[in-house]
Amino acid sequence: MTKISVTIDDKKLDVDVGKTILEVCKENGIEILTMCHLKGLTNTGACRLCLVEIEGVNKLLSACTTKITANMIIRTKTEKIKRYQLITSELFFAERNHVCSVCVANGKCDLQKLGYKTEMDHIRYPYLFPQCEVDTSHPWYVLDHNRCIMCTRCVRACSEVEGAYNWNVMNRGYQVRIISDFDTPWGESVTCTSCGKCVHACPTGAIWPKAIVQGQLEKKPEIIAELMEKRKMNL
Amino acid sequence: MSKKKIATVWLGGCSGCHMSLLDIDERILDVAKLADIVKCPIVDGKELPEVDIVLVEGSVTSDEHLREILHIREQAKALVALGDCAVTSNITGMRNYFDLKEVFDTAYINAVSNDKEGSVPGHPELLKLRDKVVPLQEVVKVDFVIPGCPPDADTIFYVLFEFLNDRIPNLSEVKKLRYG
Amino acid sequence: MNRQDLQTIIHSEKLKEENNKYKHKLCVCCGAGCISSGSEEVLKKLQEEVITRGMESEVEVIATGCMGPCNQGPLIKFLPEYTIYQKVDCSNIKDIVQRQLVEKKPIEDLLLFADSRLTPFIDAREDPYYKKQMKIALKNCGHINPERIEDYLVHDGYKALDKVLFQMSPEEVIAEIKQSRMRGRGGAGYPTGLKWETVYKYVSHQKYVICNGDEGDPGAFMDRSVLEGNPHRVLEGMSIAAYAVGANKGFAYIRGEYPLAIKRFELAIKQAKKLGVLGNNILGTDFSFDVEVRIGAGAFVCGEETALIASIEGKRGTPKPRPPFPAESGLWGNPTLINNVETFAGISPIINNGGEWYSDIGTPKSAGTKVFALAGKINYSGLIEVPMGTTLREIVFDIGGGIQGGGEFKAAQTGGPSGGCIPKEHLDVKMDYESLISLGSIMGSGGLIVMDKSSDMVDVARYFMEFCMDESCGKCVPCRVGTKMMHDLLKKICDANGTRIDLERLEELAVYVKECSLCGLGASAPNPLLSTLRHFRHEYESRITE
Repeated sequence: MTKISVTIDDKKLDVDVGKTILEVCKENGIEILTMCHLKGLTNTGACRLCLVEIEGVNKLLSACTTKITANMIIRTKTEKIKRYQLITSELFFAERNHVCSVCVANGKCDLQKLGYKTEMDHIRYPYLFPQCEVDTSHPWYVLDHNRCIMCTRCVRACSEVEGAYNWNVMNRGYQVRIISDFDTPWGESVTCTSCGKCVHACPTGAIWPKAIVQGQLEKKPEIIAELMEKRKMNL
Repeated sequence: MSKKKIATVWLGGCSGCHMSLLDIDERILDVAKLADIVKCPIVDGKELPEVDIVLVEGSVTSDEHLREILHIREQAKALVALGDCAVTSNITGMRNYFDLKEVFDTAYINAVSNDKEGSVPGHPELLKLRDKVVPLQEVVKVDFVIPGCPPDADTIFYVLFEFLNDRIPNLSEVKKLRYG
Repeated sequence: MNRQDLQTIIHSEKLKEENNKYKHKLCVCCGAGCISSGSEEVLKKLQEEVITRGMESEVEVIATGCMGPCNQGPLIKFLPEYTIYQKVDCSNIKDIVQRQLVEKKPIEDLLLFADSRLTPFIDAREDPYYKKQMKIALKNCGHINPERIEDYLVHDGYKALDKVLFQMSPEEVIAEIKQSRMRGRGGAGYPTGLKWETVYKYVSHQKYVICNGDEGDPGAFMDRSVLEGNPHRVLEGMSIAAYAVGANKGFAYIRGEYPLAIKRFELAIKQAKKLGVLGNNILGTDFSFDVEVRIGAGAFVCGEETALIASIEGKRGTPKPRPPFPAESGLWGNPTLINNVETFAGISPIINNGGEWYSDIGTPKSAGTKVFALAGKINYSGLIEVPMGTTLREIVFDIGGGIQGGGEFKAAQTGGPSGGCIPKEHLDVKMDYESLISLGSIMGSGGLIVMDKSSDMVDVARYFMEFCMDESCGKCVPCRVGTKMMHDLLKKICDANGTRIDLERLEELAVYVKECSLCGLGASAPNPLLSTLRHFRHEYESRITE
């Protein structure tokens, strides 16, 4: 494979062409914060946590969707980026009702980890406290909109990996919600195969298996990438 | 060097943070060497004098809490929000998704244990709940926050000890930042 | 139909004769603005009146597109005298016809701007309102019947398409557009020729041309008027673009709120296909190009090109990060050229008159003309087209007739919810891309809302923020939550409950949302806030409680 040289955080690297900035950083042990990215799914660039500065480019670009090109000079941890990551993290928490102490994902939640990584000790913006529903109609799983961060990893896992197209997004702006089929209770879905991929893809406690109590959730998001790899091998 | 003065206050919370504070166990002796605890729900003392550090547990849920926190702010050099309720409103804030009336009705009238015979208490001496529960930083300037539900005893001791030694604690640096 | 057939039609005496058959042409504005003030009724009554008087052999009554001063409607125009009557209602039609056509003495009191000018002009072209304007994109709007392709043909219609197909290579077309220095009229002002060239250079068996008619800015109706008034012009522009970049399929994405524009554009497609200037083997050449209309469902974000493409693909209209740009990977992953309605409307004059002619109009960096939709506290609201570089003062006072009720100008908002306001001190700013950016505003698609001192600038910022908040697609965090937070903070300040900390948070969020948002909607959402903060900070300060 052809190699190109790039500079990331003052480190000179020779990398394969055709990869995204995020892939290159991961391979080289450079940490990039992500939330909507999940290996195995297409990248949407929605959470804006992986924004990086690139010399000669007048705007910040998302590392997950931007292909690396020769001689790029990339900075991933400038003061500006760190500040923006902190604000994003605060907005995530302020948007819906994330009460860690009563959450099944407490201690195993990607959103909590994001808070720690951005050194967020409190949220400076007023909480929105929206009224969100909890859909318990599915026999095995629960969808709690209070804890959803609209990363759409479930939507993509459902359509791209399972091919069931149960999940989708409705409404606009801060009123967006994940919906099952045409906004019917999950338990009544005609498309859901109950495969559970969305449960593992979800980074927070928004989708979880029933009969689990606070802090006991075990998710294996890596199964999505494993499945996709195995599928490629079969082909 | 004269001893510093510490106080702790319990607003809208479950007192779990104070339980955790007690869990610093014998390290209380290290604290006592450097400071006097002048007011605390567990010790006597009705008035809050001027203090160096005050740890406040719980969020602002009523008019009484608001009056209290404004007074605390005046009396304290450093105001530390202790625990998730004080920092994020946490469980106390879970009533914010509903109207206050709904909350009262649920608690006093519609609760099963009331046999539908209950009534909302309305004595003028009782504190009045605010429409929305807010964390401390929405009403006063907060100097330091210790999230967690409850925060570890270790974390509380670390913060206290740093302040008492005139150092600014940094939870991220010592990997003690935790919510829930 | 091949080329000769078209030439025969265009040059046939019959077409010209038909056009010159009537001594008088009576144009009734049937743009959406005049229709809403009752012009269709006026049209009917006028036709009846002409028949009653037995004048149908010398007077042709036609329905045309927008004439400009929309709030003076319904408007009717007599050609060749160019006499325009305003606020025509059915009761004075008899008098107007009698005086204008029989006695040849126009009724001065009913002439255009009769209520605000000492002596109104019998020939409206003499009026400063029209004199200061220069119509390229809007040329023929208001003179021709948009529902008849013959009317367009008489006015050099499809001549440019004929020229590119038979005399120019795609490279030459692109060179001509590049020479014209035209910039995209959708708002960002990207050089059109460069965009075309980029799409042209990508090798692909399938390319697309998309016309963006999803005009969503509050107070903007430039694209609507062009589509309603001269749909063939846009269609011709799209065909020329398709020829230049090598596309064979086009989509016109028009918002559902413009039923008349959709109807007329669909009719234009049908007529053009019948005439052989659209469809397979256009004018007998190897070039084939087909256009379909796609109707937008009312989401502002679908005006953003990647969201628009998603919408055409049948998906939820949410934007995608760029790169890759649509020129490389657009509709269904194919190279796609996407231009605004007004951009396409400007193409055929460039081909007919040459790029140099166009580049001589306007300012060195912003060539050509720009259509603005005047709205707000201005006397003559409506649609105007001026050379780039015309000052705001000329637009507001010379053309727009100044502020309503003789009030005082306070600010003008350009670019709608993505733009900013220009205060009184900068009335002499030249309206071109760079000057507006330097004032913290943008050209945008051409909405121009004039405000007098009754406007509260904090509330203006709040209004536009509310718009962006409601219209955010909800995909990325900065725009979804950031606009909501900024709106709530602005509301708090509006209600005089805001503190200095709130103002600080607001400014911090504004910069964050601007830099971090995924698409242009989010990135420009803080603009009204930032520009009002820049020019009217005292209005914010005076609301702050300590």
